[in-house]
Amino acid sequence: MSAITHGATLGAHPVSAGHRVWRVVRLNLVNTRTVFVVPAIVMGSILLVNAAIWYIITATTSGTDRVDAMTGTQYSGGSFYIFVFMLVIGVQVVTATFPFALGLSATRRDFALGSGLTFVLLAAVYSIAFAALSLVERATGGWFLGGHLFTSLYFGANVGQRLLVVFFGLLFCFFVGAMGGTLFMRWRATGVMLGGAALAVVVLGALAAVSFSDSWGAVGRSLLAAGPLGIATWLLVPIAVCSIAGFTVLRRATPKS
Amino acid sequence: MTTLSSIAPAVTVDGLTRRFGSFTAVDDVSFDVSGNHIYGLLGRNGAGKTTIMQLLTGQDFATSGSISIFGESPVENADVLRNVCFIKESQRYPEDFTVAHVFRSAPWFFGNWDAAFAERLIADFRLPMSRRIKKLSRGQLSAVGVVIGLASRAPLTFFDEPYLGLDAVARQVFYDRLLADFSENPRTVILSTHLIDEVANVLDHVIVIDDGRVIMDAEAEALRGAAGTVSGTRAAVDHFAEGRTVLHRDGLGGLASATLETLTAADRAAAAAAGLEVSSVSLQQLIVQKTASTTTRELEQSA
Repeated sequence: MSAITHGATLGAHPVSAGHRVWRVVRLNLVNTRTVFVVPAIVMGSILLVNAAIWYIITATTSGTDRVDAMTGTQYSGGSFYIFVFMLVIGVQVVTATFPFALGLSATRRDFALGSGLTFVLLAAVYSIAFAALSLVERATGGWFLGGHLFTSLYFGANVGQRLLVVFFGLLFCFFVGAMGGTLFMRWRATGVMLGGAALAVVVLGALAAVSFSDSWGAVGRSLLAAGPLGIATWLLVPIAVCSIAGFTVLRRATPKS
Repeated sequence: MTTLSSIAPAVTVDGLTRRFGSFTAVDDVSFDVSGNHIYGLLGRNGAGKTTIMQLLTGQDFATSGSISIFGESPVENADVLRNVCFIKESQRYPEDFTVAHVFRSAPWFFGNWDAAFAERLIADFRLPMSRRIKKLSRGQLSAVGVVIGLASRAPLTFFDEPYLGLDAVARQVFYDRLLADFSENPRTVILSTHLIDEVANVLDHVIVIDDGRVIMDAEAEALRGAAGTVSGTRAAVDHFAEGRTVLHRDGLGGLASATLETLTAADRAAAAAAGLEVSSVSLQQLIVQKTASTTTRELEQSA
């Protein structure tokens, strides 16, 4: 009655570690609508709304007023949307895709590596698109209206800087979002709250250190000297912290019913 | 590279315990699952069935005790896990996933995936491919899990409450497809449910969990028809039941009935000779009365 061998052959299809990680990347990207289409549409809409505002300004002002107003668009934060969106994607990769990946018998290690790789690929795709759009913006004189969206000052002075600043910025958002999602997955709301509290302590400590040593002037000067790219490069520190801490916390995380 | 054992048993659990704070969800559980059989993991809601399955598939971590799946621990073990499929009843899916996204990605994870079979099952269960997972009915959600489990052809496949929300036709489809596919592609199946009568006929072996403990671990064939109920006058029933294991007693005035754990053919003849009426006990009745010692008939009512 009792059979000795298993009918469905064990290990019939050997799977390499690279393949196991890559299928997690594919799982994270399979819903192209959420990952690519929606952000592109929203970003396009933001550009249209901004262009409409620039047109109104151009049509209703003249002389130095117009020049002042259009120069002011260099401080436009319209493209920050993309960073917030990717932060949310980072959270959802852990809170929703992680439980499904475990249901598909992926290991936590393969999931973490695959998701980290997904973040790098997405940040690369979006920073290249962003830099390309900044070139178009420059070439068309601000979409023929003198406006700024992809060439805002925050992203650096040239296309190379913009590419790197946006790449590091997006990577930071992905990893911080995923870290938050991981704290939730492991310890629920308590984890997120304690994580937030720990972050607040670190930030307050840094502020206190700067204030008590009366070095705000020095901080301001070095930030200016570092420029957007210098500051963005420093984001590699929290990115590294989040990826190592996130993986450590995720290794023992369990999706609850 | 792989040292996975394809010698039975497929699953060995020894002294498995899982505590959540002061609550003990799984309490010193030990059992074996021999390969290429259909096992029923039965018990009331909250008995610990899902926790046990999460532990067996490395989704949760044991407080103490050991688990061996095909000879190895399942925790973070890719070689073991690719031979395992467990879509739990409360499975979460990625935000905004449609049914189509699920069935596009699932085959990447299971080496034995049968795409043609999956397509047939999707049609059988009438799953709407373009609908979002979060918009599915409870029955459609169960069907998604059932289709992944069947089409994965994983050497160790779990079905967690597969009947939840399924209508009568869909239940029959699952029952038929499972048996037909099992006979063509034998594998180890662990089916968890509290709807015992629905699955009683498919099961080779039954493990009943109550309050985190194993209270029954037996061949289904041995359980079917082993127990029996005798009824008649109180005096005759009491006399007959003396010295036997009584699972359940009922009485009304001078009449009484007693469910006895074992009732052989000779016992049945003796009971009939003593003027007692003998009736058989279904697997569900047997398990209800075994678990009813703690509390009463919720199992029966929810079924």
